[in-house]
Amino acid sequence: MITSPAPSQTATATATARQWFLAREDLGALVEAIRATGRTVIGPTIREGAIVYDEIQTAADLPTGWRDVQTAGRYRLEHDNDSRVFGYAVGPTPWKRFTFPPNLTIAAAHHTSTIGFEPPVPDPPPVAFLGVRACEIAALAIQDRVFLGGQFTDEDFRARRSAAFIVAVQCTSCASTCFCTSMGTGPEVHGGYDIVLTEIDDGFVIQAGSPGGAAIVAKLPTRQPSHAEAGAAVDNVEAVRTQMGQPLPMAGIAERLKLQLDHPRWAQVADRCVECGNCTMSCPTCFCTSVVEKSGMDGRASTTERLWDSCFDVSFAKVAGGDFRARPRDRYRQWLTHKFSTWWDQFGSSGCVGCGRCITWCPVHIDVREELSAIAPPIPPVVRPVAVAPVAASPGTYSIARLASVRPETDDTTTLSLTDVDPAFLSGRPGQFVMIALPAFPAVPISISRFRANGIDLTIRAVGATSTALVNLHPGAKVGLRGPLGTFWPVEEAYGRHAVVVAGGVGLSPLHGLVDALVANHDRFESVSLFYGSRTPEDMLFRDDLAAWSAGKSIDVAITVDRAGPEWKGRVGVVTTLFDMISWDCSKVTAFVVGPERMMQASVQGLISKGVPADKICVSMERHMECGIGLCGHCQMAGRFVCKDGPVFRLDDLGDMFNREGI
Amino acid sequence: MHARAMDDYASVIAMLNHTWFGAELSPETQERLARLGDIQDFEADEVILHEGDDAKEMGILIRGRLALRTFVPERGPVTILSVEPGDIFGWSAVLADTQAQSTVVATESSQALVIEGVKLRAALKEDHALAASLYPRVLKAVARRLRATRLQLLDLFAR
Repeated sequence: MITSPAPSQTATATATARQWFLAREDLGALVEAIRATGRTVIGPTIREGAIVYDEIQTAADLPTGWRDVQTAGRYRLEHDNDSRVFGYAVGPTPWKRFTFPPNLTIAAAHHTSTIGFEPPVPDPPPVAFLGVRACEIAALAIQDRVFLGGQFTDEDFRARRSAAFIVAVQCTSCASTCFCTSMGTGPEVHGGYDIVLTEIDDGFVIQAGSPGGAAIVAKLPTRQPSHAEAGAAVDNVEAVRTQMGQPLPMAGIAERLKLQLDHPRWAQVADRCVECGNCTMSCPTCFCTSVVEKSGMDGRASTTERLWDSCFDVSFAKVAGGDFRARPRDRYRQWLTHKFSTWWDQFGSSGCVGCGRCITWCPVHIDVREELSAIAPPIPPVVRPVAVAPVAASPGTYSIARLASVRPETDDTTTLSLTDVDPAFLSGRPGQFVMIALPAFPAVPISISRFRANGIDLTIRAVGATSTALVNLHPGAKVGLRGPLGTFWPVEEAYGRHAVVVAGGVGLSPLHGLVDALVANHDRFESVSLFYGSRTPEDMLFRDDLAAWSAGKSIDVAITVDRAGPEWKGRVGVVTTLFDMISWDCSKVTAFVVGPERMMQASVQGLISKGVPADKICVSMERHMECGIGLCGHCQMAGRFVCKDGPVFRLDDLGDMFNREGI
Repeated sequence: MHARAMDDYASVIAMLNHTWFGAELSPETQERLARLGDIQDFEADEVILHEGDDAKEMGILIRGRLALRTFVPERGPVTILSVEPGDIFGWSAVLADTQAQSTVVATESSQALVIEGVKLRAALKEDHALAASLYPRVLKAVARRLRATRLQLLDLFAR
């Protein structure tokens, strides 16, 4: 009895096994040689318009010249003048019906003067499976793990598996429903066989994968393949990979599915599903069964029969007290999540091999590839942008820009719109700043409040000589700029999450560009919110923009002031009082906070107390800066230079340095 | 101000459950408060309470917005805090012989569960379970307000 080789043995054999060429007309010799060992050869045949695995006597029983056309819910065979023997993909019947029969007697019982139970002793006849594809080899390996890899084993399966001689066939064509490349199971056969064939124009390149396979090959009228024949064998299989197209993004699918147990698509696909069970019956790895008793009328003798079952069956999960999966959506979800997710937890691999049978044989054209893409799409990688190199970085060198317009925001804060700026400034990112200077005035750091197509905005509060001089400039005036400098808001880290912006007073200035970016890409976030507090209504910045954001649907805006007169009908109170409005799961919040440091500290405390993770909170720090490039030493904060390691910091990076006195 | 019939305590309890103040009270306390109080509607600009008046009523705002104002000579009325749905006003009524700390004005059409101070204090005195449930909640509301007030006091946005 030839046993199927263990994968490691086969891999070694594959690596060192010679290849041979078997002429097309000599394929029958292979069948005869195997039958001569006493094995029944089971291979592809045609029955009722489909390729099904059944006993064959000679090579003439094989479906020569036939090919299949498979799409979701459709299967047709077509005959052409091609002499190919294996020019089709897989049919409806998986090999599991021979290793794991649909109907099996697992016990016999008698009830006479006493009772007794006799389990059958497995004694399967030796068989050979001719035409096993790569995905089917993978399916057999999966079933090995299911039935033989745990504490409890199926000895009938073990016996049948051991009794099977595997003649694999490399795929040289594929159906539109095949997706083995997505599951990593094909199209090439890698081990798990006794003999492997690759069909080329004039015959087959043949290779042994076990001592038993080598013994069979040695009896065949083979010769060494020519270089061209060996190359054609490789090319024919590689062409299938190309034909199958881009693999599905299956990385992480197990975890992605676990996160989508409440996705509305489950109900939608269940509405289409007729729960016929075709998918589970044709699937080469599904293994659910049920047990029935059959007895004579007198009850003296009975047998216990194991039958294939399906988790789609309406009573599959029923117990005496009820049904754990009463709804079709529950059953569909069970099948798909088991196949692609929890199978990993149970058996260390996916339960799917990408053979596509469940797609072809679904009468309502459900395509699991589409369902997986809809329910658990891949999470886009976070692409971290690289900061553009600053212009005129060295102190004393400046890039000249022109003042296009001046807009007062409050009685002491003004927005300067600059144009004719170096393109590097336009490539800056929200959160960055510039060093801006006028002759005879020291340069000061100012956050870029807005990025425009042809310039940048700087919002400046007049608190010193330079800032006062700047806000008193007129359009047309020239200023010197260095930058863009510093770190920027990591917007990408908020993708798929609730993006919350908390701004206090002029702190809205370094956040304005961020809010623009969040609003422009709002569909990439679970939600976008702005909580803004200012001293009085008259001290609010960007009132037109606040009104526009409030009127739009892309962002929720909540505003409060510290104090107001009777004409103010809005909220009065510090910005942390707005956190009462938060109703989401705060573990899914990414927050961006700027304001006076004490206000930031109160805000951070409020956010953390609501459950926002510290590594999902970013703040922008302010320190005395004179060079903007970490060389003057002024802006040091516990070993960091705020000008170049900041000003934007992740809160957990700052640790307890944040808001610590004297730092 | 319009008081409605209190024949549907379940709907009042449901309203309380949507407020910050009421949501975490025990069901027994929620029902007790529903029975003690009245649902009252206020029109925009309606003065609910004047600064310095006896603190006769405590309210839990269900809908709308109230402004707490104080009068500053030469500046006129200054809004020092707004009360949003879920928060309380007139908490001084929990204590006897106190005066309202500020004038309470509805800045928009509003609705609140209003409880007479006399009834509330009598209930707290007689029902220890109610007291054990309600006092910490009132204390927390006052602490939140104190924390926020301190931040306002710092005048962090001042030049």
